[in-house]
Amino acid sequence: MTADITDDELVQRFPGEPITHDNAAHYRGRLRRELLLNRCDDCARWHAPFKPICPDCWSSRVSAQPVSGEGLIFMAIFLHRGPAAPGVDYRTPYPVVAVELAEQEGLRFTSTVVGADNAGIYIGAPVRLDWIDRGGVPTPVFALRGSS
Amino acid sequence: MSMKDRVAIAGAATTGFVAKNSGRSQVSLAAEASIDVIRKCGIAREDIDGLCGSWPSAAVLQSTLGIPEVTWFGNPVIPMVDHVATAAAAVHAGLCEVVLVYHAAYRAAWNSGSALKDPFRRIATPGLMDPRPGPDTMAAAVGYTGWASRYMHEYGASREDFGLVAINARSNAARNPAAAMREPLSMDDYLKAPMIREPLCLYDMDPAVDGADAFIVTTAERATDMALPPVLINAAVLGQVRHNEEDQTVSLRQHGQHVVIDTLKAKSDFWIDDIDVYFPYDGFTPITLNWIDNAGWCKPGEAGAFLRDHWVAEQRRVLINGRVPVNPHGGSLSEGATQASGHMREAVHQLQGIAGDRQVAGARRALITAGGFFFNAQGLTLHRP
Repeated sequence: MTADITDDELVQRFPGEPITHDNAAHYRGRLRRELLLNRCDDCARWHAPFKPICPDCWSSRVSAQPVSGEGLIFMAIFLHRGPAAPGVDYRTPYPVVAVELAEQEGLRFTSTVVGADNAGIYIGAPVRLDWIDRGGVPTPVFALRGSS
Repeated sequence: MSMKDRVAIAGAATTGFVAKNSGRSQVSLAAEASIDVIRKCGIAREDIDGLCGSWPSAAVLQSTLGIPEVTWFGNPVIPMVDHVATAAAAVHAGLCEVVLVYHAAYRAAWNSGSALKDPFRRIATPGLMDPRPGPDTMAAAVGYTGWASRYMHEYGASREDFGLVAINARSNAARNPAAAMREPLSMDDYLKAPMIREPLCLYDMDPAVDGADAFIVTTAERATDMALPPVLINAAVLGQVRHNEEDQTVSLRQHGQHVVIDTLKAKSDFWIDDIDVYFPYDGFTPITLNWIDNAGWCKPGEAGAFLRDHWVAEQRRVLINGRVPVNPHGGSLSEGATQASGHMREAVHQLQGIAGDRQVAGARRALITAGGFFFNAQGLTLHRP
């Protein structure tokens, strides 16, 4: 159903997000709580951020495909101040992590970590994909693996 | 034919920098530095036939300064080695002969709360009203904090390692009247400073400032007719690798800085053992540590130990081998976010022997490693024969 949402409606659902022809499918995926990244249909390599062609084999057959969202924290920082966002309160420093996804070495996705003390968020920690509601739309986040 | 030593920086000038709203426009700041450098070089505005800067546009600056005609102009992207290298290439190619290179740092309404309160600055800040992304990103300046976390994780670096960069900058800035931040800083001050993006604190990042620098770039031959000693451009490079997004960069050992260093070493006639003054970029302290590692002053991850080994305690600053200062003007951490125009201006002044209380006796060769890791790593070797 969400696949039928128009481009105009998609942009309205995600104010502030830099939506382009190359990542629109990813944002449509968010609306049904599916984390999609671009992958080459010919050589099967994943790419991030979103590219219109395959940077490896130059195929233009690139499609947004689901990733598991399993991975290890590669970078971990804590914002003591930052841009205003619904539900974000910097009185507790806000974690931002780049996660190296299990699908491919060097393939990373950046978001926050929910449901964890900051002390438990460190480089190397295993995480899994989770979803929260932000500004009325599903947002991909991470949770420490092993937590419920 | 290579442009090595065929193009010179004939002079450099600055308005100085303040970490507060100056009550002036960006055009006003750029114009002041430009007029100053034209006069110091002993030339007239009619001699200028090229313009190169990012803000304001070349068209606006030309009409403001009343420069009658130019045959070439460029508006490349920051940091500023790009502008000097592009201007030098234009001169070497014969597109023009005397280029005014300029940069006006300006407290934009997106990076300063007090700048946001100034209605003229809100109008002057492009993109301010565009939708803004949320906090869940490593993009732009945040990326350096992400890689600071990796630097600490991989090498066991401490906050004190970053702090030494900040303290060195402030100690040097005490002798630089152009710097915005000149009060001395102790390690205790550094460690007690508020965290902004942990693990980086207030003193790990350059402040937003108002101020401008300007340069004259011309042929080595023409420069000898001007009022100040010519500083020759020996080699220049803008380095970039494929994975140049902040969260996709492969590793601390594989990014734009490595291209810069490999290229400069191959193309320059002198290297770190030969230089008299060193200018690593310091928009964020971890960038400086990475440049020190990658330039080959020490092994990867050892920059903190290197700074300690070469620390002059009574001066609270670094002198490499007791001789070579690091950002003697105080860097971007003290002058403010000049996008390396300050590093280049100080290098020119040091090599011309006009750096005042900061002068390195007999300075002849300088290395500038500007910008960060991703799409902005740049290098320049300058010398006075």
